[in-house]
Amino acid sequence: MNLLSPKKIQLPNGKMVVEKRSVTPLIIIVLLLFTIVSINITEFKLEVIVKQINRLFVIIDEMIPPNVEYMPSLWQPLLDTIKMSLIGSVLGAICALPVAFFAASNITKNRLITTVVKFLLSLLRTLPTLVVALIATYVFGLGTMAGTIAIYLFTVSYVGKLLYEQIENANMDSYEAMQSLGLTSMYSFRYAIMPQVIPNYLSTTLFCFEGNVRYAAILGYVGAGGIGLMINESIGWRNYANLGMIILMLVVTVFIIETISEYCRKKLM
Amino acid sequence: MIEFIDVEKQYPNGLTALKNINVKIEQGEYVAIIGLSGAGKSTFIRCINRMHGITEGSIYINGMDIRLLKGKGVRKLRRSIGMIFQSFNLVTRTTVLKNVLVSYVPDLPFWRKITGIFTKEQKINALTALDKVGILDKAYVRVDQLSGGQQQRVALARTLAQAPQIILADEPVASLDPVTANLVMEDFRKINKELNMTVVMNIHHVELALTYADRIIGIRSGEIVFDGNASDVNDEVLSLIYSGQEVEDTSANESTISEKNPVA
Repeated sequence: MNLLSPKKIQLPNGKMVVEKRSVTPLIIIVLLLFTIVSINITEFKLEVIVKQINRLFVIIDEMIPPNVEYMPSLWQPLLDTIKMSLIGSVLGAICALPVAFFAASNITKNRLITTVVKFLLSLLRTLPTLVVALIATYVFGLGTMAGTIAIYLFTVSYVGKLLYEQIENANMDSYEAMQSLGLTSMYSFRYAIMPQVIPNYLSTTLFCFEGNVRYAAILGYVGAGGIGLMINESIGWRNYANLGMIILMLVVTVFIIETISEYCRKKLM
Repeated sequence: MIEFIDVEKQYPNGLTALKNINVKIEQGEYVAIIGLSGAGKSTFIRCINRMHGITEGSIYINGMDIRLLKGKGVRKLRRSIGMIFQSFNLVTRTTVLKNVLVSYVPDLPFWRKITGIFTKEQKINALTALDKVGILDKAYVRVDQLSGGQQQRVALARTLAQAPQIILADEPVASLDPVTANLVMEDFRKINKELNMTVVMNIHHVELALTYADRIIGIRSGEIVFDGNASDVNDEVLSLIYSGQEVEDTSANESTISEKNPVA
Protein backbone atom coordinates (compact mmCIF):
# COMPACT_ATOMS: atom_id res chain seq x y z
CA MET A 1 0.00 0.00 0.00
CA ASN A 2 2.84 2.28 0.87
CA LEU A 3 4.29 1.51 -2.53
CA LEU A 4 1.32 3.16 -4.26
CA SER A 5 0.82 6.22 -2.09
CA PRO A 6 2.34 9.42 -3.47
CA LYS A 7 5.74 10.48 -2.21
CA LYS A 8 5.98 13.88 -0.53
CA ILE A 9 9.03 16.04 -1.01
CA GLN A 10 9.62 19.03 1.23
CA LEU A 11 11.54 21.98 -0.16
CA PRO A 12 13.96 23.90 2.10
CA ASN A 13 11.45 26.78 2.22
CA GLY A 14 8.79 24.49 3.66
CA LYS A 15 6.67 23.99 0.48
CA MET A 16 5.39 20.48 -0.17
CA VAL A 17 5.46 18.81 -3.58
CA VAL A 18 3.57 15.59 -4.14
CA GLU A 19 5.31 13.18 -6.48
CA LYS A 20 3.27 10.45 -8.10
CA ARG A 21 4.60 6.93 -7.61
CA SER A 22 5.60 5.10 -10.75
CA VAL A 23 3.40 2.08 -11.50
CA THR A 24 6.12 0.35 -13.55
CA PRO A 25 7.21 -2.11 -10.77
CA LEU A 26 3.60 -3.18 -10.31
CA ILE A 27 3.15 -3.78 -14.04
CA ILE A 28 6.34 -5.87 -14.18
CA ILE A 29 5.13 -8.02 -11.26
CA VAL A 30 1.76 -8.59 -12.94
CA LEU A 31 3.41 -9.49 -16.26
CA LEU A 32 5.71 -11.97 -14.52
CA LEU A 33 2.74 -13.61 -12.79
CA PHE A 34 0.91 -13.93 -16.11
CA THR A 35 3.98 -15.48 -17.74
CA ILE A 36 4.31 -18.10 -15.00
CA VAL A 37 0.63 -18.97 -15.24
CA SER A 38 0.81 -19.32 -19.03
CA ILE A 39 3.87 -21.57 -18.83
CA ASN A 40 1.90 -23.87 -16.54
CA ILE A 41 -1.21 -23.86 -18.72
CA THR A 42 0.62 -24.48 -22.00
CA GLU A 43 2.87 -27.12 -20.43
CA PHE A 44 5.88 -25.48 -21.98
CA LYS A 45 9.03 -27.51 -21.26
CA LEU A 46 12.50 -26.43 -22.18
CA GLU A 47 13.84 -29.99 -22.22
CA VAL A 48 11.39 -30.98 -24.98
CA ILE A 49 12.86 -28.28 -27.18
CA VAL A 50 16.40 -29.43 -26.47
CA LYS A 51 15.58 -33.12 -27.02
CA GLN A 52 13.42 -32.74 -30.15
CA ILE A 53 15.16 -29.94 -31.96
CA ASN A 54 17.28 -32.33 -34.01
CA ARG A 55 14.12 -33.58 -35.77
CA LEU A 56 13.70 -30.14 -37.29
CA PHE A 57 17.16 -30.42 -38.79
CA VAL A 58 16.31 -33.84 -40.21
CA ILE A 59 13.38 -32.30 -42.11
CA ILE A 60 15.41 -29.31 -43.27
CA ASP A 61 18.13 -31.70 -44.38
CA GLU A 62 15.61 -33.57 -46.52
CA MET A 63 14.44 -30.31 -48.08
CA ILE A 64 17.94 -29.66 -49.41
CA PRO A 65 18.40 -29.93 -52.27
CA PRO A 66 14.88 -28.99 -53.35
CA ASN A 67 13.26 -31.05 -56.07
CA VAL A 68 13.73 -28.84 -59.16
CA GLU A 69 11.67 -31.18 -61.36
CA TYR A 70 8.62 -30.24 -59.30
CA MET A 71 8.90 -26.58 -60.43
CA PRO A 72 6.83 -26.69 -63.68
CA SER A 73 3.72 -27.89 -61.86
CA LEU A 74 4.08 -25.07 -59.31
CA TRP A 75 3.79 -22.05 -61.62
CA GLN A 76 0.02 -22.21 -61.93
CA PRO A 77 -0.74 -22.41 -58.15
CA LEU A 78 1.87 -19.73 -57.47
CA LEU A 79 0.25 -17.45 -60.02
CA ASP A 80 -3.15 -18.22 -58.47
CA THR A 81 -1.81 -17.20 -55.08
CA ILE A 82 -0.53 -13.86 -56.39
CA LYS A 83 -3.74 -13.23 -58.34
CA MET A 84 -5.84 -13.96 -55.25
CA SER A 85 -3.93 -11.51 -53.12
CA LEU A 86 -3.72 -8.85 -55.82
CA ILE A 87 -7.43 -8.80 -56.67
CA GLY A 88 -8.41 -9.14 -53.02
CA SER A 89 -6.11 -6.31 -51.97
CA VAL A 90 -7.16 -3.90 -54.73
CA LEU A 91 -10.90 -4.45 -54.25
CA GLY A 92 -10.49 -4.36 -50.47
CA ALA A 93 -8.54 -1.11 -50.53
CA ILE A 94 -11.13 0.55 -52.79
CA CYS A 95 -13.97 -0.50 -50.49
CA ALA A 96 -11.99 0.59 -47.42
CA LEU A 97 -12.23 4.23 -48.54
CA PRO A 98 -16.00 4.73 -48.10
CA VAL A 99 -15.92 2.49 -45.00
CA ALA A 100 -13.26 4.72 -43.42
CA PHE A 101 -15.28 7.80 -44.39
CA PHE A 102 -18.24 6.52 -42.36
CA ALA A 103 -16.06 5.31 -39.49
CA ALA A 104 -14.21 8.61 -38.97
CA SER A 105 -15.96 10.51 -36.21
CA ASN A 106 -14.64 13.90 -37.34
CA ILE A 107 -16.25 13.59 -40.80
CA THR A 108 -19.38 11.53 -40.14
CA LYS A 109 -21.19 13.38 -37.38
CA ASN A 110 -23.78 10.68 -36.74
CA ARG A 111 -22.47 8.79 -33.72
CA LEU A 112 -24.60 5.73 -34.44
CA ILE A 113 -23.10 5.25 -37.92
CA THR A 114 -19.48 5.65 -36.79
CA THR A 115 -19.98 3.27 -33.86
CA VAL A 116 -21.63 0.59 -35.98
CA VAL A 117 -19.03 0.83 -38.77
CA LYS A 118 -16.17 0.76 -36.29
CA PHE A 119 -17.70 -2.23 -34.53
CA LEU A 120 -18.09 -4.10 -37.85
CA LEU A 121 -14.48 -3.33 -38.73
CA SER A 122 -13.15 -4.72 -35.46
CA LEU A 123 -15.45 -7.73 -35.76
CA LEU A 124 -13.98 -8.39 -39.20
CA ARG A 125 -10.46 -8.08 -37.83
CA THR A 126 -11.03 -10.56 -35.01
CA LEU A 127 -12.00 -13.25 -37.53
CA PRO A 128 -8.78 -14.98 -38.62
CA THR A 129 -8.36 -14.97 -42.40
CA LEU A 130 -8.06 -18.74 -42.36
CA VAL A 131 -11.50 -19.05 -40.74
CA VAL A 132 -13.05 -16.62 -43.23
CA ALA A 133 -11.49 -18.62 -46.07
CA LEU A 134 -12.89 -21.83 -44.62
CA ILE A 135 -16.39 -20.33 -44.44
CA ALA A 136 -15.96 -18.94 -47.95
CA THR A 137 -15.15 -22.39 -49.30
CA TYR A 138 -18.54 -23.59 -48.06
CA VAL A 139 -20.28 -20.65 -49.77
CA PHE A 140 -18.32 -20.32 -53.02
CA GLY A 141 -16.89 -23.83 -53.27
CA LEU A 142 -13.26 -24.94 -53.22
CA GLY A 143 -10.85 -22.77 -55.19
CA THR A 144 -9.34 -19.34 -55.55
CA MET A 145 -12.67 -17.50 -55.32
CA ALA A 146 -12.92 -18.38 -51.62
CA GLY A 147 -9.35 -17.23 -51.00
CA THR A 148 -9.97 -13.95 -52.82
CA ILE A 149 -13.02 -13.23 -50.68
CA ALA A 150 -11.08 -13.95 -47.49
CA ILE A 151 -8.25 -11.63 -48.49
CA TYR A 152 -10.72 -8.96 -49.65
CA LEU A 153 -12.46 -8.92 -46.26
CA PHE A 154 -9.20 -8.82 -44.36
CA THR A 155 -7.95 -5.93 -46.51
CA VAL A 156 -11.15 -3.93 -45.95
CA SER A 157 -10.80 -4.31 -42.19
CA TYR A 158 -7.07 -3.64 -42.07
CA VAL A 159 -6.82 -0.71 -44.50
CA GLY A 160 -10.18 0.64 -43.30
CA LYS A 161 -9.01 0.73 -39.68
CA LEU A 162 -5.68 2.42 -40.42
CA LEU A 163 -7.30 4.84 -42.86
CA TYR A 164 -10.02 6.04 -40.51
CA GLU A 165 -7.39 6.65 -37.84
CA GLN A 166 -5.45 8.69 -40.37
CA ILE A 167 -8.59 10.65 -41.23
CA GLU A 168 -9.36 11.34 -37.59
CA ASN A 169 -5.84 12.69 -37.10
CA ALA A 170 -5.92 14.82 -40.26
CA ASN A 171 -5.77 18.58 -40.03
CA MET A 172 -9.35 19.89 -40.01
CA ASP A 173 -8.52 23.54 -40.75
CA SER A 174 -8.76 23.15 -44.50
CA TYR A 175 -11.90 21.06 -44.05
CA GLU A 176 -13.49 24.00 -42.22
CA ALA A 177 -12.47 26.28 -45.08
CA MET A 178 -14.12 23.94 -47.61
CA GLN A 179 -17.30 24.00 -45.54
CA SER A 180 -17.22 27.78 -45.51
CA LEU A 181 -16.96 27.67 -49.32
CA GLY A 182 -20.30 25.85 -49.43
CA LEU A 183 -19.03 22.33 -50.15
CA THR A 184 -20.87 19.29 -48.80
CA SER A 185 -19.14 17.07 -46.23
CA MET A 186 -18.34 14.53 -48.93
CA TYR A 187 -16.61 17.00 -51.22
CA SER A 188 -14.92 18.80 -48.32
CA PHE A 189 -13.50 15.38 -47.49
CA ARG A 190 -12.51 14.82 -51.11
CA TYR A 191 -10.66 18.14 -51.41
CA ALA A 192 -9.35 18.80 -47.88
CA ILE A 193 -8.75 15.40 -46.25
CA MET A 194 -7.94 13.13 -49.22
CA PRO A 195 -4.79 15.02 -50.23
CA GLN A 196 -3.56 14.57 -46.66
CA VAL A 197 -4.23 10.84 -46.35
CA ILE A 198 -3.67 9.55 -49.92
CA PRO A 199 0.09 8.85 -49.65
CA ASN A 200 -0.40 6.94 -46.42
CA TYR A 201 -3.43 5.14 -47.79
CA LEU A 202 -1.49 3.86 -50.81
CA SER A 203 1.42 2.89 -48.61
CA THR A 204 -0.86 0.97 -46.24
CA THR A 205 -2.47 -0.79 -49.17
CA LEU A 206 0.90 -1.89 -50.56
CA PHE A 207 1.98 -3.08 -47.12
CA CYS A 208 -1.26 -5.01 -46.77
CA PHE A 209 -0.73 -6.55 -50.23
CA GLU A 210 2.74 -7.76 -49.15
CA GLY A 211 1.24 -9.47 -46.14
CA ASN A 212 -1.63 -10.85 -48.21
CA VAL A 213 0.75 -12.74 -50.53
CA ARG A 214 2.05 -14.56 -47.46
CA TYR A 215 -1.46 -15.18 -46.14
CA ALA A 216 -2.63 -16.41 -49.54
CA ALA A 217 0.13 -19.01 -49.50
CA ILE A 218 -1.41 -20.84 -46.56
CA LEU A 219 -5.05 -20.38 -47.56
CA GLY A 220 -4.81 -23.49 -49.73
CA TYR A 221 -4.67 -25.41 -46.46
CA VAL A 222 -8.41 -25.04 -46.10
CA GLY A 223 -9.00 -25.61 -49.80
CA ALA A 224 -9.15 -21.99 -50.79
CA GLY A 225 -6.80 -22.45 -53.74
CA GLY A 226 -3.27 -21.40 -54.49
CA ILE A 227 0.09 -22.82 -53.50
CA GLY A 228 -1.07 -23.77 -49.99
CA LEU A 229 -2.78 -26.74 -51.58
CA MET A 230 0.62 -27.99 -52.76
CA ILE A 231 2.18 -27.41 -49.34
CA ASN A 232 -0.56 -29.46 -47.73
CA GLU A 233 -0.07 -32.22 -50.27
CA SER A 234 3.72 -32.37 -49.92
CA ILE A 235 3.57 -32.51 -46.14
CA GLY A 236 0.90 -35.18 -46.34
CA TRP A 237 3.16 -37.36 -48.53
CA ARG A 238 6.20 -36.54 -46.36
CA ASN A 239 7.81 -35.31 -49.59
CA TYR A 240 10.16 -32.73 -48.08
CA ALA A 241 12.18 -32.23 -51.26
CA ASN A 242 9.02 -30.98 -52.99
CA LEU A 243 8.17 -28.88 -49.93
CA GLY A 244 11.64 -27.37 -50.11
CA MET A 245 10.99 -26.34 -53.71
CA ILE A 246 7.67 -24.73 -52.81
CA ILE A 247 9.18 -22.81 -49.94
CA LEU A 248 12.09 -21.67 -52.09
CA MET A 249 9.75 -20.32 -54.78
CA LEU A 250 7.55 -18.68 -52.19
CA VAL A 251 10.48 -16.98 -50.48
CA VAL A 252 11.80 -15.65 -53.80
CA THR A 253 8.36 -14.39 -54.86
CA VAL A 254 7.62 -12.73 -51.54
CA PHE A 255 11.08 -11.17 -51.53
CA ILE A 256 10.60 -9.70 -55.01
CA ILE A 257 7.15 -8.33 -54.19
CA GLU A 258 8.35 -6.86 -50.90
CA THR A 259 11.31 -5.19 -52.56
CA ILE A 260 9.13 -3.57 -55.21
CA SER A 261 6.49 -2.50 -52.69
CA GLU A 262 9.09 -1.12 -50.29
CA TYR A 263 10.60 0.94 -53.10
CA CYS A 264 7.16 2.32 -54.03
CA ARG A 265 6.30 3.10 -50.42
CA LYS A 266 9.53 5.05 -49.96
CA LYS A 267 8.70 7.06 -53.06
CA LEU A 268 5.25 7.83 -51.63
CA MET A 269 6.49 9.25 -48.34
CA MET B 1 -26.71 43.98 -46.29
CA ILE B 2 -26.25 42.06 -43.07
CA GLU B 3 -28.76 42.62 -40.29
CA PHE B 4 -28.72 41.13 -36.78
CA ILE B 5 -31.98 41.40 -34.85
CA ASP B 6 -31.97 40.55 -31.13
CA VAL B 7 -29.49 37.77 -31.75
CA GLU B 8 -28.53 35.50 -28.90
CA LYS B 9 -26.19 32.54 -29.04
CA GLN B 10 -25.87 30.02 -26.28
CA TYR B 11 -23.51 27.06 -26.52
CA PRO B 12 -24.78 23.61 -25.49
CA ASN B 13 -22.63 23.83 -22.34
CA GLY B 14 -24.68 26.82 -21.20
CA LEU B 15 -22.16 29.52 -22.06
CA THR B 16 -23.81 32.59 -23.56
CA ALA B 17 -21.49 33.79 -26.33
CA LEU B 18 -23.70 36.55 -27.78
CA LYS B 19 -26.68 38.48 -26.43
CA ASN B 20 -28.86 41.41 -27.56
CA ILE B 21 -26.98 41.85 -30.81
CA ASN B 22 -28.61 44.43 -33.09
CA VAL B 23 -26.42 45.50 -35.98
CA LYS B 24 -26.88 46.58 -39.57
CA ILE B 25 -23.97 46.39 -41.97
CA GLU B 26 -24.44 47.89 -45.46
CA GLN B 27 -22.97 46.44 -48.65
CA GLY B 28 -19.39 47.65 -49.16
CA GLU B 29 -18.62 48.55 -45.55
CA TYR B 30 -15.30 47.67 -43.98
CA VAL B 31 -16.02 46.69 -40.38
CA ALA B 32 -13.47 45.67 -37.76
CA ILE B 33 -14.62 43.87 -34.64
CA ILE B 34 -12.46 44.32 -31.57
CA GLY B 35 -12.62 42.91 -28.08
CA LEU B 36 -10.89 40.60 -25.66
CA SER B 37 -10.23 36.96 -26.48
CA GLY B 38 -13.37 34.99 -25.69
CA ALA B 39 -15.62 38.06 -25.93
CA GLY B 40 -17.58 36.46 -28.78
CA LYS B 41 -15.90 37.97 -31.85
CA SER B 42 -15.35 34.65 -33.60
CA THR B 43 -18.86 33.50 -32.78
CA PHE B 44 -20.27 36.75 -34.19
CA ILE B 45 -18.46 36.25 -37.49
CA ARG B 46 -19.29 32.56 -37.78
CA CYS B 47 -22.99 33.24 -37.25
CA ILE B 48 -23.06 35.24 -40.49
CA ASN B 49 -22.27 32.23 -42.69
CA ARG B 50 -24.01 29.71 -40.43
CA MET B 51 -20.78 27.97 -39.39
CA HIS B 52 -22.48 28.49 -36.02
CA GLY B 53 -26.22 28.52 -35.46
CA ILE B 54 -27.94 31.07 -33.23
CA THR B 55 -30.36 30.29 -30.43
CA GLU B 56 -32.49 33.48 -30.39
CA GLY B 57 -33.37 36.29 -32.81
CA SER B 58 -32.68 36.34 -36.52
CA ILE B 59 -30.02 37.31 -39.03
CA TYR B 60 -30.99 38.70 -42.43
CA ILE B 61 -28.55 38.73 -45.33
CA ASN B 62 -29.83 40.70 -48.33
CA GLY B 63 -33.31 40.36 -46.89
CA MET B 64 -33.14 36.58 -46.40
CA ASP B 65 -33.62 35.07 -42.96
CA ILE B 66 -30.65 32.70 -42.80
CA ARG B 67 -31.94 30.94 -39.72
CA LEU B 68 -34.59 29.27 -41.89
CA LEU B 69 -32.05 27.84 -44.33
CA LYS B 70 -31.33 24.13 -44.47
CA GLY B 71 -28.64 21.92 -46.08
CA LYS B 72 -28.58 23.13 -49.66
CA GLY B 73 -29.65 26.67 -48.74
CA VAL B 74 -26.85 26.97 -46.21
CA ARG B 75 -24.30 25.85 -48.79
CA LYS B 76 -25.68 28.37 -51.31
CA LEU B 77 -25.39 31.11 -48.67
CA ARG B 78 -21.80 30.11 -47.94
CA ARG B 79 -21.01 30.26 -51.67
CA SER B 80 -21.75 33.98 -51.56
CA ILE B 81 -19.70 34.64 -48.42
CA GLY B 82 -15.93 34.28 -48.39
CA MET B 83 -14.04 33.37 -45.25
CA ILE B 84 -10.44 33.99 -44.21
CA PHE B 85 -8.90 32.25 -41.20
CA GLN B 86 -6.10 33.01 -38.78
CA SER B 87 -4.23 29.81 -39.67
CA PHE B 88 -5.04 30.16 -43.41
CA ASN B 89 -6.69 26.71 -43.52
CA LEU B 90 -5.18 25.68 -46.82
CA VAL B 91 -4.50 22.16 -48.01
CA THR B 92 -0.75 22.33 -47.51
CA ARG B 93 0.07 19.14 -49.39
CA THR B 94 -1.10 20.38 -52.77
CA THR B 95 -0.25 23.27 -55.06
CA VAL B 96 -1.38 26.86 -54.68
CA LEU B 97 -3.49 26.67 -57.84
CA LYS B 98 -5.38 23.58 -56.66
CA ASN B 99 -6.23 25.37 -53.43
CA VAL B 100 -7.75 28.25 -55.36
CA LEU B 101 -9.57 25.97 -57.81
CA VAL B 102 -11.47 24.38 -54.91
CA SER B 103 -13.76 27.38 -54.82
CA TYR B 104 -15.22 26.26 -58.18
CA VAL B 105 -16.05 22.75 -56.96
CA PRO B 106 -19.72 23.41 -56.02
CA ASP B 107 -20.51 24.35 -59.66
CA LEU B 108 -18.86 21.32 -61.23
CA PRO B 109 -20.65 18.32 -62.74
CA PHE B 110 -20.38 15.11 -60.76
CA TRP B 111 -17.53 13.47 -62.67
CA ARG B 112 -15.40 16.60 -62.42
CA LYS B 113 -16.06 16.84 -58.69
CA ILE B 114 -14.79 13.29 -58.20
CA THR B 115 -11.81 13.45 -60.53
CA GLY B 116 -10.84 17.02 -59.71
CA ILE B 117 -10.31 17.96 -63.37
CA PHE B 118 -11.13 21.64 -63.93
CA THR B 119 -11.92 23.55 -67.13
CA LYS B 120 -9.40 25.83 -68.80
CA GLU B 121 -11.61 28.83 -68.10
CA GLN B 122 -11.66 28.04 -64.37
CA LYS B 123 -7.88 27.71 -64.38
CA ILE B 124 -7.56 31.12 -66.03
CA ASN B 125 -9.93 32.65 -63.47
CA ALA B 126 -8.01 31.08 -60.60
CA LEU B 127 -4.70 32.33 -61.99
CA THR B 128 -6.23 35.80 -62.37
CA ALA B 129 -7.24 35.72 -58.70
CA LEU B 130 -3.66 34.78 -57.78
CA ASP B 131 -2.40 37.65 -59.93
CA LYS B 132 -4.66 40.09 -58.06
CA VAL B 133 -2.93 39.27 -54.77
CA GLY B 134 0.50 39.27 -56.40
CA ILE B 135 1.59 35.62 -56.15
CA LEU B 136 1.01 34.43 -59.70
CA ASP B 137 4.58 33.07 -59.86
CA LYS B 138 3.82 30.66 -56.99
CA ALA B 139 0.85 29.01 -58.73
CA TYR B 140 2.48 25.59 -59.11
CA VAL B 141 4.39 25.58 -55.82
CA ARG B 142 3.23 23.40 -52.93
CA VAL B 143 1.58 25.48 -50.20
CA ASP B 144 3.83 24.20 -47.39
CA GLN B 145 6.78 25.84 -49.11
CA LEU B 146 5.28 29.34 -48.81
CA SER B 147 5.70 31.88 -46.02
CA GLY B 148 2.80 32.86 -43.76
CA GLY B 149 2.09 36.06 -45.66
CA GLN B 150 2.08 34.24 -48.98
CA GLN B 151 -0.23 31.57 -47.57
CA GLN B 152 -2.70 34.19 -46.39
CA ARG B 153 -2.65 35.63 -49.91
CA VAL B 154 -3.46 32.19 -51.33
CA ALA B 155 -6.41 32.05 -48.95
CA LEU B 156 -7.42 35.52 -50.12
CA ALA B 157 -7.17 34.43 -53.77
CA ARG B 158 -9.32 31.37 -52.97
CA THR B 159 -11.94 33.68 -51.54
CA LEU B 160 -11.72 36.10 -54.48
CA ALA B 161 -12.17 33.24 -56.95
CA GLN B 162 -15.44 32.55 -55.18
CA ALA B 163 -16.57 36.11 -56.13
CA PRO B 164 -18.41 36.67 -52.83
CA GLN B 165 -20.38 39.74 -51.76
CA ILE B 166 -19.16 39.51 -48.20
CA ILE B 167 -15.74 38.53 -46.84
CA LEU B 168 -15.50 37.36 -43.24
CA ALA B 169 -12.02 37.40 -41.78
CA ASP B 170 -11.25 35.74 -38.46
CA GLU B 171 -7.98 37.21 -37.14
CA PRO B 172 -6.47 37.27 -40.64
CA VAL B 173 -3.19 38.89 -39.58
CA ALA B 174 -2.71 37.45 -36.07
CA SER B 175 -0.06 34.95 -37.19
CA LEU B 176 1.79 37.37 -39.47
CA ASP B 177 4.66 39.76 -38.76
CA PRO B 178 3.76 43.49 -38.58
CA VAL B 179 5.02 44.39 -42.07
CA THR B 180 3.24 41.50 -43.75
CA ALA B 181 0.17 42.20 -41.64
CA ASN B 182 0.02 45.71 -43.09
CA LEU B 183 0.39 44.40 -46.63
CA VAL B 184 -2.42 41.91 -46.15
CA MET B 185 -4.61 44.62 -44.58
CA GLU B 186 -3.83 46.75 -47.63
CA ASP B 187 -5.03 43.89 -49.86
CA PHE B 188 -8.27 43.75 -47.91
CA ARG B 189 -8.82 47.49 -48.33
CA LYS B 190 -8.11 47.28 -52.06
CA ILE B 191 -10.64 44.47 -52.46
CA ASN B 192 -13.16 46.36 -50.33
CA LYS B 193 -12.88 49.57 -52.36
CA GLU B 194 -12.41 48.20 -55.88
CA LEU B 195 -14.85 45.31 -55.81
CA ASN B 196 -17.28 46.81 -53.27
CA MET B 197 -17.17 43.65 -51.15
CA THR B 198 -18.27 43.94 -47.55
CA VAL B 199 -15.44 43.06 -45.16
CA VAL B 200 -16.20 41.98 -41.60
CA MET B 201 -13.02 41.31 -39.69
CA ASN B 202 -12.01 40.22 -36.20
CA ILE B 203 -8.76 41.77 -35.17
CA HIS B 204 -6.60 42.05 -32.06
CA HIS B 205 -4.36 44.84 -33.33
CA VAL B 206 -6.40 47.93 -32.49
CA GLU B 207 -4.05 50.21 -34.38
CA LEU B 208 -4.36 48.22 -37.60
CA ALA B 209 -8.13 48.18 -37.17
CA LEU B 210 -8.27 51.97 -36.76
CA THR B 211 -5.96 52.54 -39.74
CA TYR B 212 -7.76 50.38 -42.26
CA ALA B 213 -11.37 49.90 -41.23
CA ASP B 214 -14.18 52.45 -41.66
CA ARG B 215 -16.31 51.22 -38.83
CA ILE B 216 -15.44 49.65 -35.48
CA ILE B 217 -17.67 47.35 -33.44
CA GLY B 218 -16.52 46.65 -29.90
CA ILE B 219 -17.72 43.45 -28.23
CA ARG B 220 -17.42 42.80 -24.50
CA SER B 221 -18.57 39.48 -23.01
CA GLY B 222 -21.05 38.83 -25.80
CA GLU B 223 -22.56 42.32 -26.04
CA ILE B 224 -21.89 45.20 -28.39
CA VAL B 225 -20.54 48.07 -26.30
CA PHE B 226 -19.38 50.32 -29.11
CA ASP B 227 -20.44 50.79 -32.72
CA GLY B 228 -19.17 53.76 -34.69
CA ASN B 229 -16.63 55.35 -37.00
CA ALA B 230 -12.99 54.44 -36.64
CA SER B 231 -12.19 58.12 -36.15
CA ASP B 232 -14.46 58.27 -33.06
CA VAL B 233 -12.49 55.62 -31.18
CA ASN B 234 -10.47 57.13 -28.33
CA ASP B 235 -8.89 55.82 -25.14
CA GLU B 236 -12.20 56.06 -23.32
CA VAL B 237 -13.91 53.84 -25.90
CA LEU B 238 -11.05 51.35 -25.81
CA SER B 239 -11.17 51.11 -22.03
CA LEU B 240 -14.91 50.49 -22.31
CA ILE B 241 -14.37 47.66 -24.80
CA TYR B 242 -11.44 46.13 -22.95
CA SER B 243 -13.12 46.50 -19.51
CA GLY B 244 -10.63 49.10 -18.34
CA GLN B 245 -7.95 46.87 -17.00
CA GLU B 246 -6.57 45.87 -20.35
CA VAL B 247 -6.06 49.29 -21.87
CA GLU B 248 -2.49 49.89 -20.74
CA ASP B 249 -1.43 46.45 -21.89
CA THR B 250 -3.05 46.92 -25.25
CA SER B 251 -1.54 50.31 -25.90
CA ALA B 252 1.86 48.94 -24.86
CA ASN B 253 1.41 46.19 -27.41
CA GLU B 254 0.41 48.60 -30.13
CA SER B 255 3.40 50.85 -29.55
CA THR B 256 5.85 47.98 -29.85
CA ILE B 257 4.18 46.96 -33.08
CA SER B 258 4.33 50.41 -34.59
CA GLU B 259 7.99 50.74 -33.63
CA LYS B 260 8.85 47.59 -35.52
CA ASN B 261 6.62 48.65 -38.34
CA PRO B 262 7.47 51.71 -40.42
CA VAL B 263 4.41 51.38 -42.66
CA ALA B 264 1.84 52.00 -39.93
